Amino acid sequence: MNEKDHYKNRIELLQGTLDMLILQTLQWGPQHGYGIVQALRLQTGDVLQVETGSLYPALHRLERQGWVQSEWKQSDSKQKARYYRITAKGKKQLASDLDRWEQIVEAIGSVMYVKPKESAS
Amino acid sequence: MKWFPSFGSQRRNRELQEEIEAHLQMAIADRVARGETEEAARHAAAREFGNIALVQDVTRQMWGGGNWFEQLGRDLRYALRQLRKNPGFSITATAMLAVAICANSTVFSWIDGTMLRPIPGARDAGELVSLQRGERNFSPVPPLSYLDYRDLREQNHTLAGILAYHHDWITLTGGAQPERVFIANVSANYFDVLGIKPMLGRFFLAEEETKPSVPNVVLSYSLWKTRYAEDRAIVGKSIEIARHPLTVIGVAPEGVVGAMPGLRDDLWVTLDPLGTDPWRMTHRSGGAVWLNVIGRLRPGVSRGQAAQDLDSVMHNIVAAYPNDHLGANQITLDPMWRSPFGANGYMAATLPVLLAFAAVVLLLTCANVATLTLVRFVSRRRELAIRQSLGANRIQLVWQMVLEGMVLSIVAGAVALGLTSWTSKTFAWFLPASSILNGSMDHNVVIGIAVSSLLAGMLCGALPAWRSSHAPAIEVLKAESASISGGSRNRKLLSGLVVAQIALSLPLLICSGLFLRTLRNLASANPGFEQDHILTATVGLNIAGYSHDEVQLIRHKILDRVSALPGVKVASFTDWIPMTLGHKGEDAYPEGYVPHPHESLQVYHAEVAPRYFESLHIPILEGREFTPDDDEKAPRVLIVDQTAARRYWPGQDPLGKNLRIWGRLFTVVGVARNSTHMFVNESPEPMVYMSFFQEGYETIVQVETEGNPVDLAPAVENTIHQIDTRLPVFEVRPMRESTQMASIFAVIQSTLAGMFALIGLVLAVTGIYGVVAYRTQMRTHEIGVRMALGASRVDVLRLVLSQGVWLTGVGLALGLAFALVLTRLIARLLYGIGANDPVTVASVITLLGAMSLAACYLPAHRAMRRNPVKAIREL
Repeated sequence: MNEKDHYKNRIELLQGTLDMLILQTLQWGPQHGYGIVQALRLQTGDVLQVETGSLYPALHRLERQGWVQSEWKQSDSKQKARYYRITAKGKKQLASDLDRWEQIVEAIGSVMYVKPKESAS
Repeated sequence: MKWFPSFGSQRRNRELQEEIEAHLQMAIADRVARGETEEAARHAAAREFGNIALVQDVTRQMWGGGNWFEQLGRDLRYALRQLRKNPGFSITATAMLAVAICANSTVFSWIDGTMLRPIPGARDAGELVSLQRGERNFSPVPPLSYLDYRDLREQNHTLAGILAYHHDWITLTGGAQPERVFIANVSANYFDVLGIKPMLGRFFLAEEETKPSVPNVVLSYSLWKTRYAEDRAIVGKSIEIARHPLTVIGVAPEGVVGAMPGLRDDLWVTLDPLGTDPWRMTHRSGGAVWLNVIGRLRPGVSRGQAAQDLDSVMHNIVAAYPNDHLGANQITLDPMWRSPFGANGYMAATLPVLLAFAAVVLLLTCANVATLTLVRFVSRRRELAIRQSLGANRIQLVWQMVLEGMVLSIVAGAVALGLTSWTSKTFAWFLPASSILNGSMDHNVVIGIAVSSLLAGMLCGALPAWRSSHAPAIEVLKAESASISGGSRNRKLLSGLVVAQIALSLPLLICSGLFLRTLRNLASANPGFEQDHILTATVGLNIAGYSHDEVQLIRHKILDRVSALPGVKVASFTDWIPMTLGHKGEDAYPEGYVPHPHESLQVYHAEVAPRYFESLHIPILEGREFTPDDDEKAPRVLIVDQTAARRYWPGQDPLGKNLRIWGRLFTVVGVARNSTHMFVNESPEPMVYMSFFQEGYETIVQVETEGNPVDLAPAVENTIHQIDTRLPVFEVRPMRESTQMASIFAVIQSTLAGMFALIGLVLAVTGIYGVVAYRTQMRTHEIGVRMALGASRVDVLRLVLSQGVWLTGVGLALGLAFALVLTRLIARLLYGIGANDPVTVASVITLLGAMSLAACYLPAHRAMRRNPVKAIREL
């Protein structure tokens, strides 16, 4: 099976969102897997906890897609770790993901927050 | 294109591992910085991370690419890891499958070594057919005279070749000690038709077939090796057989033992090598019907067409020589695997039935392993759900689980392969030591093992996997504790599997019960003659090259001296021992008897000396026994058995009536009571006894002893050797030992069926125990609630037990229906018991039912004892 098609067919809420969140996190600079989990947790006030079982597959998939690149570097605490950096292609993808996300939010919002029409009578 | 995929993937694997390791280290470092102890931090980080192996696996799947081979490798590694995590399951399942596969491959190796290789060394044995003339018979005598054979050979249009042979034994003289060997008189084309090339020298030439006095001999490899020390210059040398010199013209290749399945030839000579028996070469009846015949079908010709062709040729022969062909003459052909000449007739009746039993055992085992697999999958549903939510589709999940089943069954197959290389040889245990039959382990058996283990793997893995993968991922992830038994689908499948196990084991138990009772009936049956105080010893007299007068003199000496031995009650001669899988037959023409059309006129015959009937305790009902006066100078006399008397002279006095055999007239002087000839369960064939001193051929001393016949064996042997040290004496043994031949196959059947049934019983009982225990455990919470709400312990017991009873009941009912079919297959192998014997059926049902209930009672009892409060908490 062609992995790319497979991927495209499977843009579901959970997965698509995770990709977007990862790319967004990497906007602020290269980061390793553990750092991404921590960042997402801090920023969402512990609401979003990304499971490692989802994160690492996602990172490796993004790399295959060419949206991120990775290299091994020493962290501040002298720990050697694999850092992921967003690519130009990734930035484009992030923009389109964001677009799509906003559309979805808007669409859902228009259902959820619709003001009851003034009744005609 | 990646040139070194495995190289790259190794590096990536290592990197992934390091990446995860780094993740954990950083998490630990953070926690320690927050003030946790090193130990607690390590635990917490690991817990937070989750299942490392699973993360690695799902991540690896994202790498994609690679070839199918790499993908398979990944799947395989994952499967192995899952199996290693659960050694109890893996070892149990592998062991059970290995035993079941081994049961199949063992029986198959026996079939392979005997029926599928009827003539060792022959080319394309599938093209060979065995010829039978007249009424089809389970143990026929040789069908054709030489002249009839030659006419069939020259006038048929459907055979590429047709050979004739006569199996006999003879004494090799010339060495220090005479040695009994097996010999075949063969047509000149014998080795050509079989497709065998000589290892040394040459085989017979066409012109040597009828030319008398061509004393050529071909040696078997084993005789060449043991008696002639692998002398490569043996061709052209002369050896002495029964005191006649013969020239060795060739040696057959290793493993070639002759054309009659199960019998060994050490030597081959032409049909009348010494020119001493012209009668057999020039007549069509009267002792000249002595050849067994095997044909090789022409390419594209079916067995039916060939039989029709030969039958029409035979028809012409009968029309031309009607007086030589009274009785039935139609030709029938059998494939060699079930040829009635030799051992294959017996094999074909027994071994396929046993293979069917083994297949049932394998099915049963698959059901059992599938049960275990299903239970295991239910407990793995969370893992499966994660994989599914990460994008694995159902096919991939099923494939993964099938792969796990495959790994199990392939390992089991490998174990079975090792076991079978030993068990295939156990066939010889059942047979007399002199037998050359045994199972064999060759590529056929290996293929059989591979096929059955793959099938087993599919059955064990695919069915439960497909069912389990139906569970919706979201539900499972959400509901950690509810609907814990894995949904009603799995429950139904589990029930089905348990029912199947009971239903499959019941017929196995019933069949083995029937076989065991058959064996007991056979052992206790009265064969109509004394077996317990009789010793027999074969003397190789007529084959050692003595003159006729010398033979008669030696015989009388033996009789006198053996009779005088202390401990001997009666001594006599015979040339045939009953119930030893052999008999002699001849066409007999009773005077004044008009045969029905196509009635076989064949009778069994045996040549016995005076006091034979007395020593075997066979009563003479009318007339007299033979006396020493019934010798060659006296008129030929006969004693017939009741079957012969009733058939040929119904309502008349048989005494004084005449029978023509071999063209000579015999007068009936006595009627003996019927006794068993071949098998206890035979249909009686007419038997005529001739006087040993008139017609006796082989010399078997038969002694009735006062004590244990074994004790007298050395004395009898010594006495005979004192008369002439060069007399070969062999097969000195009690009658009981000889007659055991008749029940060899009953022993094989009941032993194997008993073993298979035992395996079936254990599997069925553990199967139902496992399922009921598992379900009860899953319902702990529910049972706790029920008890808290006032259910009594008896209610709980009833709750648990009722499902066991229900499953057992359905299983038994289905099994009974299955058994009715299966017992019909074995009906003709039974003796003294019906195929649906109610006692056997009832006791087997009781046994299986009781054991199943006991298996259900254990978990029920445990559930009943539970503290309800604990049970509720436990979940």
